[in-house]
Amino acid sequence: MSFDELSTLQSVDFYCISRDSRHKRSHTGAKRAQYRKKRKFELGRQPGNTKLGPKRIHEVRVRGGNRKFRALRLDSGNFSWGSESITKKTRIIAVVYNASNNELVRTNTLVKGAIIQIDATPFRQWFEAHYAQPLGRRKKKEGQAESEELSKKRSKHVQRKIDSRKEDAKVDPLLDDQFTTGRLYAIIRSRPGQVGRADGYILEGKELEFYTGHELVSLLNNKILIVVGAYSISKERVFWENPELEALLTNNPHEAYVFDENKAR
Amino acid sequence: MSEQVEKAFQKQVGIFQNPKASKKVKAKNLRWYKDVGLGFKTPKEAIEGHYIDKKCPWTGEVSIRGRILSGVVVSVKMKRTIIVRREYLHYVTKYNRYEKRHKNLAAHLSPAFVGVSPGDIVTVGQCRPLSKTVRFNVLKVQKRIQKGPKQFAKF
Repeated sequence: MSFDELSTLQSVDFYCISRDSRHKRSHTGAKRAQYRKKRKFELGRQPGNTKLGPKRIHEVRVRGGNRKFRALRLDSGNFSWGSESITKKTRIIAVVYNASNNELVRTNTLVKGAIIQIDATPFRQWFEAHYAQPLGRRKKKEGQAESEELSKKRSKHVQRKIDSRKEDAKVDPLLDDQFTTGRLYAIIRSRPGQVGRADGYILEGKELEFYTGHELVSLLNNKILIVVGAYSISKERVFWENPELEALLTNNPHEAYVFDENKAR
Repeated sequence: MSEQVEKAFQKQVGIFQNPKASKKVKAKNLRWYKDVGLGFKTPKEAIEGHYIDKKCPWTGEVSIRGRILSGVVVSVKMKRTIIVRREYLHYVTKYNRYEKRHKNLAAHLSPAFVGVSPGDIVTVGQCRPLSKTVRFNVLKVQKRIQKGPKQFAKF
């Protein structure tokens, strides 16, 4: 980066945004008089607003001579699959939900806590190599060859290891569905504007249910109570696409209650 | 489920809640809590409850250090925070007498404490700034003693 670029990026902006509390009214409501100018240690910088795209990261010199890496565009991150305890670098496909601001979803802005969709292939490849079982494969047509990992010839030692892992190879059905589409829901847990990376973990269990709206299908006194998550991503579509729920409702049409948390509030 | 009232999934950050079904896990209420020290008992509701509060001294990420003060609860109208009134006497040398003064303190009230009402005596401990005015966290609540058969107390 040339010196000209550096100076235009850094020099103008600080001193305009300050993080002091002297401009705010005190706890009692009194207006505080200004008795000194803004100080450099109170400075704030423009937000990075990391978008999806080919990697672009700018380095910022911060207080004490340290560095922050302001990611302006990112396309991949290191995501971990908690229940399997593995982490793979994957492509980020899209931002799907942000609890704070819908604008950030529309503009595909990567921030900590954003729910995103990531490419599932590295995880599927690892799973099939580790457990030698298919994951997220559609029903095999007659005569179609199995994938290379599944049908690969393995040494006896490796085969024994795989056999011992057989019982652990069960995957949550919600995750399995995501593997068929090739996209997993994940959440960003690093701060791209501070460290320059978008890392996180794959949503599982209650958290996944919360964000996709699969919460609380429970049988209550022979009546089916279905609670649709109040802030799910695309509530109706996901809800009705669940074959189990549809089956329950078609079999017991008179006893199904749909409880919409949104309307109840 | 009832503690998920926000738009983002509420959980304790360090706890991994999704071990595989095949692994043997108790999984009833995977909850982390700590002892704040200084002899303060950690409330049962903090250990057994389901609330998620990152500013709770027992189940959250704040530490209690510095001053420990006490006062009377003035208002419980804010979400998870209360106003505590601390009275003291100020000596005026010219008249050799005292005058009453008071200061109000905003303190964070963990959901572990249920049924706190104005008039209760409360012990608060200093922690890092939790908001613009909140630097204290409630550690102990003593219900107000109703003197005599005075008023009808609503239950």
